[in-house]
Amino acid sequence: MTPNSAVDNSSNSLRNRVLQDPSFGIVSLLITVIIAMTILEPSFATSGNVTNIINAMMTVSFLAIGMTVVLIAGGLDLSVGSTMAVTAGVAGKFIAYGMPMGVAFMWSLAIGVGIGLINGLLITKLGIPDFIATLAMLGIGQGVILFWTQGVPILGYMNDAYYYIGGLEKIVGPISVPMIVVVVISVVMAIVLKRTKFGLELYAVGSSPISARNAGVNTHAIKISAYAISGLFAAVAGIHIAGRTTTIPPLIGKGYEISAIAAAVIGGASLLGGKGRIIGALIGALTLTLTRNIINLIGIESSWQAIVTGSVLIAAVLANRASAGFSRKRLRRMNT
Amino acid sequence: MRNQSKFSKLISIEGVVILTAFVLMVIFFSLKADSFLIPDSIRYYINEAVPIFIIIVGLTFVIIAGGIDLSIGSVLGLSAGTSLMVSMWGWPFWVAVIVGVSTGLAFGLLNAVIITIFKVNDFIVTLGTLYIAAGSLTVLTDKVQLTGTEDASFQRISDLSFLGLTSSIWIAIVIIVVFELVLLKSPFGRRIFATGIGEVPALISGINTQRTKFVAYLISGGLAGFGGVLLASHLNSVQSGLAGGYELTAIASAVLGGISLAGGRGSVWRAIVGALFLTTLNQGLLLMGIDPLIFQIVTGLCILIGVIVDRGVYKFTLTFSTQTREVNSRSRDGEVVSS
Repeated sequence: MTPNSAVDNSSNSLRNRVLQDPSFGIVSLLITVIIAMTILEPSFATSGNVTNIINAMMTVSFLAIGMTVVLIAGGLDLSVGSTMAVTAGVAGKFIAYGMPMGVAFMWSLAIGVGIGLINGLLITKLGIPDFIATLAMLGIGQGVILFWTQGVPILGYMNDAYYYIGGLEKIVGPISVPMIVVVVISVVMAIVLKRTKFGLELYAVGSSPISARNAGVNTHAIKISAYAISGLFAAVAGIHIAGRTTTIPPLIGKGYEISAIAAAVIGGASLLGGKGRIIGALIGALTLTLTRNIINLIGIESSWQAIVTGSVLIAAVLANRASAGFSRKRLRRMNT
Repeated sequence: MRNQSKFSKLISIEGVVILTAFVLMVIFFSLKADSFLIPDSIRYYINEAVPIFIIIVGLTFVIIAGGIDLSIGSVLGLSAGTSLMVSMWGWPFWVAVIVGVSTGLAFGLLNAVIITIFKVNDFIVTLGTLYIAAGSLTVLTDKVQLTGTEDASFQRISDLSFLGLTSSIWIAIVIIVVFELVLLKSPFGRRIFATGIGEVPALISGINTQRTKFVAYLISGGLAGFGGVLLASHLNSVQSGLAGGYELTAIASAVLGGISLAGGRGSVWRAIVGALFLTTLNQGLLLMGIDPLIFQIVTGLCILIGVIVDRGVYKFTLTFSTQTREVNSRSRDGEVVSS
């Protein structure tokens, strides 16, 4: 083998790596849309609008990261939206009662993890199908927050520190607390997924629970931890959104589960388990938030949002299937 | 030993558990709340629950065929909106009925095409169409004030009184009986069961499983549309968010009635008993003066308890009522791992 061919090979592999990246299609679409919007719509690339997009993206990002972990383990968590509402309610109410902020947040996070643990136990130990268990949990969570607040939005918990946590006040320039939290969580979770035994076991359980069990993986423990992680990030999202919206309507979490699933699926996670990346979840969250922002900017009323989110979800799942079929075909062609 | 087998035989009769629970609950509430057993109040809350009974019939078909339909609640709401809108435009009532049912059928068709032809996860697809239908209703109510029609014949669809019961209760009874007969006695019903029990064996024995599922989703959508017409006719006003969350009640009822979410097991009347159980529970709690905001928690808990009890009973009857105990326990174990 000559050195020349080796260089050739490596540049080829770099190009291949970019082209064969699972998120290549969606990222190029995003870049095209961003360039087109910058040219066509003067109010799109303003600093105010960009801040808006990033702020709105944070909530979905937290939920999508948790959802990705659950999807990798071969599960599905529908309760994230209502867990977010409950934990936001806990943080808001407890602070309004006069509890120190840190303690209230600890309660919030603990309750998020607790809901995740209950989900995981119901699914693994009692054998309830994952979407039924988490759908029931969605109903229970929503009922709890409705009953607790009696349908009245929670007020009176905002203080100076909370404006920073919600991202309404910036630390330095455009950098806000939620951005730092998202970056830290993403880096940590990406390392956990790619570099640790736990991450490997997550992918193994999602790809094939029986082989994972035969290989000595404690599948139940792995699945329960996946749901606990999802509950934890739902609580983080709850603490964040309470600061972003400055009031907590009881139905604040409604529809967030569908955004989280859509973001994770756009980012390459599969409902069959064993696939998914943290960077994909972030790309998915950005896609959803951009879509909503563009809808608002080009003058479509906000009542269309639910329709668009639902359509994006179905389109993402369809595209996911199509691309899986495509790469399978290409693989077959390369083998023959 | 003999005693135990008698008990296990009794408990393995379909629907015994939920019927017993239902009777016990009725006795409990009639002792606790004085106004519980008044015929008028029973008629009233059953009448209110008719749309839910109707969508449960369609959901039963889908679940037995091995699928799930989450969109029924918001499709029902949207169909109520479209049919009321057409009636408010001055069209005769039968046009409004056709428009409402077609709205439901359109969503059923959308679900069916994406699920059976493109082979996408049924659960995600119907979650997507749930939001599309709910969003469409929001857009519709933004554009048009659906505050009521003057057409008396449209209102009479649901509120005509006959032999002491309203026409919507009679319509629900007819739908339940007809679809139960279709499910249990017709070749199509047998294909539904075969598809739900196992798609591969059904395919091998010559059943077009995808077409069977396709029709099941159409039925579910169409019935949701018709339920919407009845609701619109009964309420004579439609707001955004109408019937949101009905899918939770419907699934809870099906689960309480012992309809296996894995498919292949169940019948319409058992799901209806499940729905009666849930609505009666809500009514009883209401009469006892308990905050209605707690009902959603109750519904969620009922789903969990229903699944757990059903699995327990199923396991129990498998282990104790048959001779092939070890074979069964082994196959159950395999199922748990794969799920």
